[in-house]
Amino acid sequence: MSVSRKFKLHSCGVLLALATGSASAADAYPKYDFMPGKELAIPHVSGDEKFSNTYRYWKDEEAIAAAKKAGKTSAETNYKDFRWAQKSFDAEGALEIGKQYFNQKNAAGKSCASCHGQDGEKLRGIYANYPAYSKKLKRVVTVGTQIKHCASERLGLDWADDSRPNVLADFYIASLSDGKVINIDATRPGPIKQAYERGRDLFFKRAGHFNFACASCHTPPTVGKRLRSQRPTTFFGDAASYPIYHFPYALAGDDYEYVFTLQHQIKSCHLLSRIYPGAEGSPAMTDIEVFLKASANGYKMSIPGSEYNMDTDYLD
Amino acid sequence: MSHLTKLRYLSMLTLATAGAVGTVAVSFAEEPLKWVPGEVYPAELLKNFPCLDYTLACGKMKSPPVERIEFSGPLEGDAVRGEKIATNLRWGNCIACHVLPTQDGGTIGPTLKGYGAREMPLDYTYQRIWDIRFYNPNAHMPVYGPNKALTDQDVRDVMAYIYSSK
Repeated sequence: MSVSRKFKLHSCGVLLALATGSASAADAYPKYDFMPGKELAIPHVSGDEKFSNTYRYWKDEEAIAAAKKAGKTSAETNYKDFRWAQKSFDAEGALEIGKQYFNQKNAAGKSCASCHGQDGEKLRGIYANYPAYSKKLKRVVTVGTQIKHCASERLGLDWADDSRPNVLADFYIASLSDGKVINIDATRPGPIKQAYERGRDLFFKRAGHFNFACASCHTPPTVGKRLRSQRPTTFFGDAASYPIYHFPYALAGDDYEYVFTLQHQIKSCHLLSRIYPGAEGSPAMTDIEVFLKASANGYKMSIPGSEYNMDTDYLD
Repeated sequence: MSHLTKLRYLSMLTLATAGAVGTVAVSFAEEPLKWVPGEVYPAELLKNFPCLDYTLACGKMKSPPVERIEFSGPLEGDAVRGEKIATNLRWGNCIACHVLPTQDGGTIGPTLKGYGAREMPLDYTYQRIWDIRFYNPNAHMPVYGPNKALTDQDVRDVMAYIYSSK
């Protein structure tokens, strides 16, 4: 054994963090517990300027078209040029099933449509403002959690956050907000702002077997590079495409027609980076969703989109 | 962090006979849950590392202490085994971020093609793989040693593999 000496430096790290950091609460943690950059995050899609600084290439459809015309590669545009900008026709089947769940009558002849309208007209646009604070549940909730409670209380149905009817109805409801500009008010003092800040801290917190944070893959220098065959991108804007059609990849046991809600995506990311997966709809996972959704503020919802497509320009 | 075995309350045998006071016997059956490198990491075991939750115990865990290891060689590594570790998604998975001596890979970390020709000190390379935070606390690289993702021998084998590339 030629490993001669082994030192543990953790306490040293704590001292360093205390010595160099400011007096904010976050600095009570050793610096090894967070990836850098959380103080740069703002609740708007343009916040990407402080990270990959590619926002000008994908801020709207025209910008993406112009960047492509100018010969920018997918990697140079932070891989934002295809997911949000392209609609998925393959997802129509899943949307149709979601609509059926929305209209599925219980024994008393009631369905979601009984209150929310045959084509969900009363839910148009709401997805762009979720997660939102629920006065009834006294916490910030995702649409999925809202569906679960609504189905349970009004219809007597057991539609858990990660159940097939919930996820597909969620997808259908999201499609009713296609084109709506996302607005999560994370600047006014209140539960949403608090959720945003907690979610941001979780996003930058190191965890799991590999000691990765969400930020390990979704901030520079990782973004715009190739992570094996994957194309890591910043956390700005992408929430606008969720729930997303994720064919051909799904987790073992999934029965959602390849639809991934943002909650399911976060869980999938956890497993892939060897972090114990959180429960979908849990307060912590909801906070992460608030952070991601608010990081798409000012961006238009784009549903149904596709996680993977046949666009292989990025290989160039 | 050391709970690598899962205690399962197999049965609670209540022996109650007519007219007698019931006796309760609890039997513990030890069923070691182990990660086999190259296979999926058991989700249950991930609870031994920090997680993103407010109620689970792992939600309050911190990153492991930084470990400085002084490595003076000799290397004594197996380059063939090292390549397996470096390319396996469920083991070292170096290929995700690095171009490897014999394979194309990710572009996040520096290429490891021709690593041997760079004549990096063994101690430096060992430390970077074992716990990169010693050199850079903000590195986007797994903490292989302290979290037991790679053993001492695994690190030597991976080193033998990349040093063989001139």
